[in-house]
Amino acid sequence: MNRLLKKMLCVLAAALLLLGGVGVHADETPEKVTVIYGGSSWLGHYPAWVGIEKGLFQKHGLGVLFQNFYASSGRMGSLVAGDLDVASTGSISAIALMAAGSKGFMAFGTQDSYATVEGIIAREGIKTLADLKGKRIAAPFASSAHVLVLDILEQQGLDPEKDLTLLNLKVNEMPAAMGSGEIDACAAWTPHFNKLLNMPGNHLLVNDTEFSLYKKYKLGPGPDLLVVRTEFAQKYPNTSKAFVKGYFEAVDMLINEPEECAKVLMKLTNLSMEDQMTVLNDIEWVPGDQQRALMVDPGDFVTGMQQLAEFLVKHKQIDTAPPVKEWIMESMVP
Amino acid sequence: MEINTPTKSLAISIASLVIFITVWELICRLGFIEPLFLPAPSQILSRAVKMIENGQLISHTLASTRRVMVGFMVSSMVAIPVGIFLGSSRFFMAVFDPIISLLRPLPSMSWIPLSLLWLGITETQKYSIVFMGSFAPSLLYIIEATKSIDPLLIRAARNLGASKLDVMKEVILPGSLPQIIAGLKVMLGIAWTCIISAELVAAREGLGFMIMNGKEYFQTDTVLLGMVMISITVMVIDVVFRKFERRLLPWTR
Repeated sequence: MNRLLKKMLCVLAAALLLLGGVGVHADETPEKVTVIYGGSSWLGHYPAWVGIEKGLFQKHGLGVLFQNFYASSGRMGSLVAGDLDVASTGSISAIALMAAGSKGFMAFGTQDSYATVEGIIAREGIKTLADLKGKRIAAPFASSAHVLVLDILEQQGLDPEKDLTLLNLKVNEMPAAMGSGEIDACAAWTPHFNKLLNMPGNHLLVNDTEFSLYKKYKLGPGPDLLVVRTEFAQKYPNTSKAFVKGYFEAVDMLINEPEECAKVLMKLTNLSMEDQMTVLNDIEWVPGDQQRALMVDPGDFVTGMQQLAEFLVKHKQIDTAPPVKEWIMESMVP
Repeated sequence: MEINTPTKSLAISIASLVIFITVWELICRLGFIEPLFLPAPSQILSRAVKMIENGQLISHTLASTRRVMVGFMVSSMVAIPVGIFLGSSRFFMAVFDPIISLLRPLPSMSWIPLSLLWLGITETQKYSIVFMGSFAPSLLYIIEATKSIDPLLIRAARNLGASKLDVMKEVILPGSLPQIIAGLKVMLGIAWTCIISAELVAAREGLGFMIMNGKEYFQTDTVLLGMVMISITVMVIDVVFRKFERRLLPWTR
């Protein structure tokens, strides 16, 4: 009887384990199979693009739709309005939205570190930063390039209101303005950065490595941040986790197989293979296993973001510095 | 309900505005709408105070007013003679009608790429956007005003020996001027709608710039303040315009 009971218990336990196993598997199944991602041709969106093109999200049962936005502000606005589920954004927009008090989004990672694919490009005749005095400089306002210009000018003791003319210009309008001589220098990011540098007579005046926070904390003027719509992450935790898995597999692929990735990225950026590889070689990708250290414990990246928020207050770009830590969704950080 | 006096009418308008603002404030304060999507009037007021103190609000308003007024005045200066000429000549109207019809539906924003190529990122480019946005509709108003003159009056003047110039000076101009002025008042409002397009590229000041920059930083209070300032400025200019109209057209009082 005991033997029979034991056998029955064993069968029951095995069945429970099996059921439990199935249960765990069923629990991990994405609740929603489509994810709308907000991106652009900026390098911060390469992992999402590679993940889609190489079927890495599909492997986790997800179909990811890549929606293009010109600027981070538009992308973030759409995210909190509920039109996007996940996005990568320049941190200036994220900090501005935090300062506006929106809890409609949360951050869960940072995928890259770059310092040589954004900078100030000048025309012939402007050899040093001091030569910018009295000149016309363009930057897309409320962007990392704008922050870089403000910081560099401050380091040089130049007042953007008095010592020169700082104009608000989109990066795609810069080549024409530089070509016609209407502006003397401009701040831009890749891929326009590379295109501007390739124009005859143009040269690099300074890049992100000269940004004051980069010198102190290795933090660029607008580091990339992965963000999720709060409601989406709460309603679809498995989908969110599956996205994170696929996403960081794409990051690994960018680290290990850059040439293979460059082939699919050329479709997004319209760069030549050579330029695309140059951009890729300038990026330091942050894999999934380093995310917790940056975002949670000790959270160096978040500390850097806080410094950046205070920098924006100092330069009168936002009213108050939000406590960035409150916008980190720890459960989604890999 | 009948409203007999202007005072009563004003009182009703003020009460309506106060109720509207109070309801808006309450909706925001009670948390029905996130401030990011709709800030409370008090928040907008506080932003206005801050921007008045640092001088930004005045400088943005003046920059936009200058752009709108220059663009609008140039547009009117071209549209008035051309419109009167076309309105009084069937032949030239037939020649230019297809071109005007092509230009009329184009929004001011559609002129940005061409204006950038032709004029670069200068102030003239910004004036040109206001000009292009208001020229074709102004021209149509003036043509219609000129056409509305009773042909009997023109014939009578000619029969009394008036020359073409006399007819223009004594009949067409005084007859069409009230309608032209009324049209220009409407067009001034339309010229202000072009300011966002005009200040979209390479601007560093102006209400359009202020709205777009506020949008970039998710400062919805700044965006709404910019919108309110456009409305207030248009209202002030409208009052000035009415005074000018009364002086120019004393017979219409």
